[in-house]
Amino acid sequence: MDRRKFLKQSSLASSLFFVPSFVRAFEDVASSKLGYKRLVIIQLSGGNDGLNTVIPYRNDLYYKERPRLAIAKNDIIKLTDDVGLNPSLEPLKRLYDKGYLSIINNVGYPNPIRSHFRSMDIWQTATDSDTYSQSGWIGRYLDNYGKTPHSAIEVDESLSLAMKGEHLNAIATQDAKALYNLSKDPYFKNIHGHQNDAHLSEHNLGYLYKSMIAAESSAKYIFETSKTVSSKKEYPNNKFGNQMKTTAQFINSHLETKVFYTSLGGFDTHVNQLSRQKRLLGIYADSVEAFVQDLKDNDTFKDTLILTFSEFGRRVKQNASVGTDHGTANNVFVIGENLKTQGFYNDMASLSDLDDNGDLKFEIDFRTIYATVLDKWLEVDDTIVLNKSFNPLGFI
Amino acid sequence: MKAKHIQHLYRRIGFGILPTELEKLSKKRKKDVVNSLFKASKSMTLLEVDTSEIKDIFSGMMNASKRDSETLRKIQKISRKKQIELNAAWINRLTKSPEVLREKMTLFWANHFVCEDNSIIYIQQFNNTLRKYALGDFRDFVNAVSKEAAMTKYLNTKQNRKQKPNENFARELMELFTLGVGHYSEEDIKESAKAFTGYSHNLRGEFVFKQRAHDEGEKTFFGKTGNFSGEDIIDIILEQKQCAKYICEKIYRYFVNDVSDKNHINAMTEVFYKDYNIENLMRFVLQSNWFYEDNNVGTKIKSPIEFLVGMKTMVPTEFKEPKQLLYIQKLLGQILLNPPNVAGWKGGRNWIDSNTIVLRLKLPSLLLNDAYISKVKDGHEDAQIDAKKAMFNKKFGKRFKTEVNWKYFNNQFQNVGINDFQNHLLACDVNDSAKAYLQSLEKVSKQEYCIQLMSLPEYQMC
Repeated sequence: MDRRKFLKQSSLASSLFFVPSFVRAFEDVASSKLGYKRLVIIQLSGGNDGLNTVIPYRNDLYYKERPRLAIAKNDIIKLTDDVGLNPSLEPLKRLYDKGYLSIINNVGYPNPIRSHFRSMDIWQTATDSDTYSQSGWIGRYLDNYGKTPHSAIEVDESLSLAMKGEHLNAIATQDAKALYNLSKDPYFKNIHGHQNDAHLSEHNLGYLYKSMIAAESSAKYIFETSKTVSSKKEYPNNKFGNQMKTTAQFINSHLETKVFYTSLGGFDTHVNQLSRQKRLLGIYADSVEAFVQDLKDNDTFKDTLILTFSEFGRRVKQNASVGTDHGTANNVFVIGENLKTQGFYNDMASLSDLDDNGDLKFEIDFRTIYATVLDKWLEVDDTIVLNKSFNPLGFI
Repeated sequence: MKAKHIQHLYRRIGFGILPTELEKLSKKRKKDVVNSLFKASKSMTLLEVDTSEIKDIFSGMMNASKRDSETLRKIQKISRKKQIELNAAWINRLTKSPEVLREKMTLFWANHFVCEDNSIIYIQQFNNTLRKYALGDFRDFVNAVSKEAAMTKYLNTKQNRKQKPNENFARELMELFTLGVGHYSEEDIKESAKAFTGYSHNLRGEFVFKQRAHDEGEKTFFGKTGNFSGEDIIDIILEQKQCAKYICEKIYRYFVNDVSDKNHINAMTEVFYKDYNIENLMRFVLQSNWFYEDNNVGTKIKSPIEFLVGMKTMVPTEFKEPKQLLYIQKLLGQILLNPPNVAGWKGGRNWIDSNTIVLRLKLPSLLLNDAYISKVKDGHEDAQIDAKKAMFNKKFGKRFKTEVNWKYFNNQFQNVGINDFQNHLLACDVNDSAKAYLQSLEKVSKQEYCIQLMSLPEYQMC
């Protein structure tokens, strides 16, 4: 879509906030004519150990550096003659076999930071590692191309920095009914009455009223739209499984939402990594498989792209506690039906050419992945969102 | 001094003022009211939770030849628990301290010299450094911050060695702490980073200067050349008037108005540049006439902490579980001691998103009144009130373990007529449709009316 036209639409929509039916009409046109591509982001928090996720099982260095942590050849799910998956990732193997998975190896950024908070911050704001931003990359997407708070939804209780823009923020909800109930006290409706005060947003109080009305309207919209669909699929009965189930429900009810954000934590495996990571990857893979199947049953998978990342990978060498310490580059999973590069997008990182800390040297800047998704999937100008130009990759 | 002005003053340099206190002050002159604020903040009370458990482990470790990972994990575990305690203690302090101005300034500086650390010892020490210099000499302040254990960790000055400089601290020192972006060159960053090589700390969190890691070579910084130390660099930065201006702008936006006023900021800069004395600067601001002008009153959006502490100031509310207090901060988007990154919270309209506005409007009734906001029409009785509250309590009561002291509120507001409530609880005028709606409702009781007012978007303003 023409960017200027989109901009015009979004600014028009926001100035006409008090005429919701008009906005709705706009949205209906947009969705029916353009198809409706959605992005689902899955954040693995804590720094998932990429090397025990996608495993170079023929590389002697892998076994040499991880005598107690390497996964036995026989247990590894082989994808190619050299590379396989963690035994928990059987569901991912099935997606791989169908051509729904693209694995991008060795993703990172220059001058890597090994602090969880800071590195997650960098991934969420898409800045250089020596620059700090108070807005996230999806937030800036909303600033430029979003229309309402529910243009992006974080399936959680509160918003990550990734979802906060300079002017427009996403909305967070893991329970549409609870959010709706919180917002719908008739008291709130009565205090703003049916006012149509155009200069409301010029001052701070007006901005609060405007936000209140927008929140009420989004909460109501999300609840009433999504309640029409209920998932028949079985998901793992845990927080992440529920997040994915809710996301599927939102997508399958055709909410006008472009981006969904979910996360699974606990990957900071300094101690006794094997069992912990196995359990977490199992939760991840089982939930994602159920999610994909749920979307396929509802014919929405073709318009959905799923991006999985973690703030960093972990050190090649195991530590003294049968775990790993914070590292650098990591793999990113892209899941979808329309992938141009199915399977492996690029080769595994070298295990012999490491940096001073004994960490992988990154090959692909994570922001080139964002740029690709923005440009080719969400079809917007990625340089406006990322404040910088990156060469797109060929995976979609 | 006019009541309206006292209220404005206390909303900005504190978290609001109760009617009884207001009555006392309104007999005084402005000059005396402002002076009394500074007098009350002359003293400094450290904010401390009991960390003896960790300190004991530390002293054991000083003698041990090796630090085993199990001990480190134990420290981390205690530290995490203690951080929650410190968070709750800080909020409690903000609610109750007689050193009102010092505490509000500390909160301001915590979002200026932004830092976080997982060690309770280091972050508590850092927090008290903010408190100590909050109204002091800015030069000493910057130097103290540069030598704090938590800061040398947070911005990697610890890793900044002669052989392998790390520019993180030098960059943020200029970009965020003193000059603002665009007022220095990349070369200035490189050169000044050399001056901070060797800054480190010991296990107890005391500053250690590692002579061998320090670069004794010549550095060229802002056109001057010499074997500069970290202190020298800070001196040269403070020679730039831009530094005074940058700080004044930030103080203006925090205490006066989101929108900068060039003339007022210039006047502030002249005062501050003279001696970099923070107290003198704040006296100038609070004594000025423009601080009390209508366009500066009730025009700022409260931060989550201002909102929460302000509510607790009017109606004392104790959280039985510190974790619940932490959870509410998370949902509101500002957890004390846990900033998003070194740039801090953006503030202003940035506090507001769909989730936070909905929660802000609902929180007073949720915490103080069993989620009930009276909507009974004028001349009618609120027949269902007790039943509704009881039902909520049965269903959700366990979620909020709070103790609300309405008795205290009723005492404080004993002599306040119900028509004057708005002036005490709201900083700005109520918009017309809300006003009309409120007028159509029965004023059931002072408590119910207070909840109605606190549930307005207007209550979010200060």
